[in-house]
Amino acid sequence: MGTRTNGFFPVIFLTLIVFISVAALTLTDAITKDKIELAKEDEIARMLITLFPQMDGFTYDEQNDLYIPLAEQQPLGRAFIAEQSGYSGVISILVGLEPDTTLRGIRIIFQQETPGLGAKIVESFFLQQFPGLAVDDIKLTKKGGKVDAITGATTSSSAVVEGVRKAILDKLNQLGRET
Amino acid sequence: MHSFTKNFLRGIIRSNPTFILLLGLCPTLAVSTSLDNAVGMSVAFTCVLLASNIIISLIRNHVPVRVRIPVFIVIIATLVTIVDLMLQGFIPALSKSLGMYIPLIVVNCIILGRAEAFASKNSTTNSIADALGIGIGFAWAMILISLIRQLLGTGKLDLFGRHLFTVPGLGDNPVAIFLLPMGAFFVIGVLLALFRWMGVSTGE
Amino acid sequence: MSNLIAIFFGMALVNNLVLVKFLGLCPFFGVSKKLGSAFSMGVAVLLVIVVASAVTWPIFHFLLIPYGAEFMRTVIFVLVIASLVQIIEMTIKRTNLTLYNALGIYLPLITTNCAVLGITFINIDQAYTFSESIIAALGAGAGFTLVLIIMSGIRERLDMADPPLAFKGTPIAFITAMFLGLCFLAFRGIIR
Repeated sequence: MGTRTNGFFPVIFLTLIVFISVAALTLTDAITKDKIELAKEDEIARMLITLFPQMDGFTYDEQNDLYIPLAEQQPLGRAFIAEQSGYSGVISILVGLEPDTTLRGIRIIFQQETPGLGAKIVESFFLQQFPGLAVDDIKLTKKGGKVDAITGATTSSSAVVEGVRKAILDKLNQLGRET
Repeated sequence: MHSFTKNFLRGIIRSNPTFILLLGLCPTLAVSTSLDNAVGMSVAFTCVLLASNIIISLIRNHVPVRVRIPVFIVIIATLVTIVDLMLQGFIPALSKSLGMYIPLIVVNCIILGRAEAFASKNSTTNSIADALGIGIGFAWAMILISLIRQLLGTGKLDLFGRHLFTVPGLGDNPVAIFLLPMGAFFVIGVLLALFRWMGVSTGE
Repeated sequence: MSNLIAIFFGMALVNNLVLVKFLGLCPFFGVSKKLGSAFSMGVAVLLVIVVASAVTWPIFHFLLIPYGAEFMRTVIFVLVIASLVQIIEMTIKRTNLTLYNALGIYLPLITTNCAVLGITFINIDQAYTFSESIIAALGAGAGFTLVLIIMSGIRERLDMADPPLAFKGTPIAFITAMFLGLCFLAFRGIIR
């Protein structure tokens, strides 16, 4: 430990350390910034490709917050992110639409439902019920729709279903207004 | 070299941060739901501890006593941010599943504790030994807990996307409660009792 | 308004700091042996969490974001919290000695308490507005205090109980925390 020197030295020392810290972090940020952006895009791309297997790229429509998967420059459909409160916390869902308004399918991007119950919304037996549904059919079976809830996890299943349907309606509304 | 070995071994068993000192439990319990997380967190933690111990032992004769804690905090926070940004950029999946528990390494009592109690008073060589020992001590505790939670909670053992094996009888009906927060409390409680029963004294 | 109520109870009960997020475990096991000290610690943490949230929110949104320096978040927040704790400690010491005697020794411990830093991160990650952040901080602090008080009540009784020798002390406290967590699991789902 350094000896206690005159009054200003500690302050100068601390300031110096903070400056070095800022410099080091600015440098790290400069190196990693592009990588982090790429990683985020990659993640969306990986999910998109499971919905649109023939896609070879995608563009992002910033104005409408839409992801457009492309194959040989031709759009294959549309995709966007829906969010809905589940049993515990927000579930965020990637919703894919065919060029018309039928559902291409959904993927769960983020959830923190109860393991063993609600967390089963990420499993394929649940997700495979969605492709091909018309907007009005995206409800649980007991509410007149075509999606079976997961046993013991009605709240989580309902959150996904309602979240997806509302998001599609909102999105179509928004697009309809603008065109 | 004698003191190097001594300082290295200390953290692994005798003053194991998790089981003996009961320090820095937040990440140990929060992210020990899978082996991937445990390995990732242990590596991140050890990197920060090692770098902080090295830097602090190098400047230990120049730090004014009055501002030493803020200086240590700034150094540790900087290192943690560097690790955090690197993870986000290069291993995004791991960064996502560890979430805010990576930046929270800053307030991990072990790292500031080692800076204050060891690195600021000892040579760089000994500080490296200390950091490696504590890092390994933290890692094996974390891996043991996550191994138990993953095996019982999912009935399977996966490491970095590769499936290693399925526990007979548990594969279809895992005891999912081990993945819930209370599973972590249970596992560590039973492990502590087990170590005490085996004659290791866990400190209060 | 209903949104704010949901955030408050969500933070206090559903996503309880200690039992779900595993933040602030050191005081949870360290200071939960006596009811009185548990209450003081809880109040001290509540105070610091609210003040820290009120200060870090504007710093992040009006300083770090405009200058594109979000990566400085951890460093700045941790320094701000450390200084805040010092300021609060000095203020209480000068103005209210009774309060200082009750809370004084717990305040320095809070500097390295992950609960405080954790909440400021959660406020940012959840994109809460300023008022939502304050409510979230109040809820988190209240939930922390509640759990600490319950735990200390149980532990005062545990001292008189007779668990297997190996479980006496800390191990049985962890098992207790598990049951407490199981009880709080019932709160999941009250917030839709």
